[in-house]
Amino acid sequence: MKRINKLFEKKWASTLMWIILLIVAWEIAATVVAATKRTPENIMPHLYQILAAAFSTKPVASGMSATMVVLTSARATILRALLGFLVGTGIGFLLALVMKMSGICEKMLFPYLMLIQLIPVLGLAPIIFSITGDINKSRVIIAGILSFYPVATNTLAGFKSVDKDKYDLMYTYAAKRRTIYTKVLIPSAIPYFFTGTKIAAPMAITASILVDTLQGDGGLGCMLSQSLKHAMSIYVFWLIVFFSAFIGVFSSCLMTWIENLISPEKRGLRKAAKMKGGN
Amino acid sequence: MKKRMTKMVSAMLIAAMTATMVVGCGSSDKKEEGGSSSGSTTQAAADTSSVMSHEEIIKKAAADGKVGNWGLGNEYEVLALLAKYGLPTEYLSEDFTMDGFDDDSITLASAMTYNELGLTKNDYEGGYGYGDTVGYIDMNDEGVAMLEDNIFCSKTFAKENPETVKAFLYASLKGWEYAVENPDEAAQICFEAGSSVSQDHQSYMAGEVAKLVSTDMNGNAVTDDIGKINTDAMQQTLDIAKQYVTLDDSAAQEAFSKLTLDDICDSSFYDEAKASDGKFNVEKSEVSIQLKWLPQAQFMGYFVADAKGYYDEVGLKVNIVSGGGDISETTAVNNGTVDFGVTWPTNMAVADAGGMDLVEIAQIYQRSGLTLVYKYDNFKAE
Amino acid sequence: MAQKRKRPKSLYRRMKENKKVQAVATVLLPVLLGIVILSLWQTQVLHHWFKTDTFTLPLLDRIGVIISENTGKIWENVVATMTVAIIGLVAGSLLGYGVAVLAALFPRAGKGGLSVIGAFASIPVVALAPVMNNWTKDVSNDASTRSMVAKILVVMLIAAADMGLNAYRGLTELKPYAKDLMATYAAKKRTTFVKLQLPNSVPYIFVALKVSVPASIMTAIVSEYFAEYITGVGRQIRENIVLSQYSTAWAYIATACLLGIISYVVLMIVQSILLRRYH
Repeated sequence: MKRINKLFEKKWASTLMWIILLIVAWEIAATVVAATKRTPENIMPHLYQILAAAFSTKPVASGMSATMVVLTSARATILRALLGFLVGTGIGFLLALVMKMSGICEKMLFPYLMLIQLIPVLGLAPIIFSITGDINKSRVIIAGILSFYPVATNTLAGFKSVDKDKYDLMYTYAAKRRTIYTKVLIPSAIPYFFTGTKIAAPMAITASILVDTLQGDGGLGCMLSQSLKHAMSIYVFWLIVFFSAFIGVFSSCLMTWIENLISPEKRGLRKAAKMKGGN
Repeated sequence: MKKRMTKMVSAMLIAAMTATMVVGCGSSDKKEEGGSSSGSTTQAAADTSSVMSHEEIIKKAAADGKVGNWGLGNEYEVLALLAKYGLPTEYLSEDFTMDGFDDDSITLASAMTYNELGLTKNDYEGGYGYGDTVGYIDMNDEGVAMLEDNIFCSKTFAKENPETVKAFLYASLKGWEYAVENPDEAAQICFEAGSSVSQDHQSYMAGEVAKLVSTDMNGNAVTDDIGKINTDAMQQTLDIAKQYVTLDDSAAQEAFSKLTLDDICDSSFYDEAKASDGKFNVEKSEVSIQLKWLPQAQFMGYFVADAKGYYDEVGLKVNIVSGGGDISETTAVNNGTVDFGVTWPTNMAVADAGGMDLVEIAQIYQRSGLTLVYKYDNFKAE
Repeated sequence: MAQKRKRPKSLYRRMKENKKVQAVATVLLPVLLGIVILSLWQTQVLHHWFKTDTFTLPLLDRIGVIISENTGKIWENVVATMTVAIIGLVAGSLLGYGVAVLAALFPRAGKGGLSVIGAFASIPVVALAPVMNNWTKDVSNDASTRSMVAKILVVMLIAAADMGLNAYRGLTELKPYAKDLMATYAAKKRTTFVKLQLPNSVPYIFVALKVSVPASIMTAIVSEYFAEYITGVGRQIRENIVLSQYSTAWAYIATACLLGIISYVVLMIVQSILLRRYH
């Protein structure tokens, strides 16, 4: 019993428990669905059926197996999402910096940050499409627009979170404005910045998938609507659902990982943890 | 942290696999049996003599409120059909699948002959395997048919590149003629061109599309003038559209009600292309055409023309851009991203009313592919 | 700023410290920027910059005319979208807060649940929406009801994830001295929870809401694209773009923006009232 208790002190064990619970719930529901519906695979297939579809080599479209279809279209989607995400994050950070430097800018721009978040992506798409004349560019721009907002607001919150004591300390050092930014403001905003990117990364992927559904040159969204319309195996749909869920979660985890890698604060914590572990 | 992540992920995977395996072993064989028995083979062909007439079926389904359509500009024929029988013009929203039809929440469901109807009847992957137990009402027979896939471009482009337009039409029509003669080969070409559709469904689709291209709304064969704009059929399409298209923008609505055939169609390129000897002095040698959907046999003519080198013969290099979204073909042609497009005349006319500058240059599908499919079992005569 | 301290107060500085001036500026500056943008729009300068035409980017008066001509229809769609967004937001926030409380009370099992819920936030809405459609087929025979339930479920998941993660931080990230103080009082776990943890989480609730209010509207709009029943602001945008009615689509885009602004303003007012009383 003690051992089990100890096991549960680790976060992953409890996460695992929840995941198993979810799987069990899914399977129970899938069994019910399979017993009551004529086309259970459209509503809720068993997980093993989805896994089987993932590993099957049977061609479903243009000679490619289901997994290959998903992976090829995913590559296009993820690349666009990544590019848009990088651009959006960069602009978001700069914008937060500008807003921190000038109160007028902040007052002027902040409400519009909200607004941009609220313009529906699909509404933007054709407009951006007609401006750029290129669907790929529009995808990148839309992913960028969606990801810059969380980064900008969170980073700004980070700049503002700096304690007054720290400012006072810098004043007593007679530090230059620049030094205050590089030594105090930016480092303390970094955790907030990463909170922003953790929201932004899945957002960029969602945007990219959604824009895929606008025009049909591949991409996960395109395949998603295709398989939903039964143009190919319905399992392609389920694979895409799970795969996009996976890359969404993964992108967010990746951000955590990068944060731990570069943020000085966490680095210190990790060192401390290691030393503790060593004892 | 990194280590913990790896641990977590691997543990997750193992758990998922074991769990599904455990459950899987229990029920997998049973499931397979269930799947195959729902195919058409086990269901006896229904006795059609005891089924209601089409009029009765439409009235009954409408009274139950179980007529289905996708909306989004696809509904006008169904509205016209309901109005024809004096029924309220209301319909249920049909989703992407035929599941609603399958579970009887929609008893009279919209289906394209070359796509959903095939999936309903056949039992290849993605199909429902109803076989001969379903019947359908053809919009052409009911006199409410509207034209579908055409070829269009912007008026400016046509004016500036008349030879290119003619050359493109000449080669495309040659492709369509070949495809209609050899649908199986055309299906194979589409499949190799990277179609998203399964091979079985592809060949089914090619056969049905060939019928739509080579038969007019009255059921007469169209052999020599594939792609010709049939004025009567076009007028019927426009008339129905004017009656049932409602636009929130009053200015666009007014413009739409004033549209005439001359505003949206131009047969001169078609006529000159047909009369020519196949030699063109093209102004623009690299052109592109945007499809209404992903590559599939619905557009087999263009793939055939490309694969057989018909485009090369007239001095064109054609880039076939796949569609698949809802917005792009009219927008893309209008803003010059692509030169030609495939869409439905109604969509194009509405776009023109909204302010675009598009013109139809050929009408590939000569009859409507829309049907309303029903199960015989649901409409037994008393 | 360090240098400025020594100088006599400039007009700029005096304005900066005057609360009334600041309050006016908060409203005035964005409005001014808005007027500038809108006038650039109406005079077609924007069109010139973006190399687009009045068809893709219709002039404001045209959009205004369409809105005024269709107020009834627009209102119906607004009601449909907002019902989904609000019910989903409220239900999701309650659920998320509940999970956070459980996680704070039973950290062993709860933490994992929280990370699972967090993972849900990263699943792209485009993948969730069609799945929810499939699962709610049996909820009602009425297509409008069941597709509304499906949309609400999607919004709920997104809102729950936001609230769960933030509320958990609020319940656990306590000021160290506060915890020590509770310990010196020998306070019971329950007392600590009610007197310290719950109040501490209130500001975090608003942090969550600031993200989840716009996110809920956005999610409601996106899930409308996939919904079975054709209604809502988002769906109207899509329908009109399909029919190349860009002016009408813009009328709905403008409506969506208005919805976002209004709900954000309402949130801000509620926050200032509640937090003032709270302090």
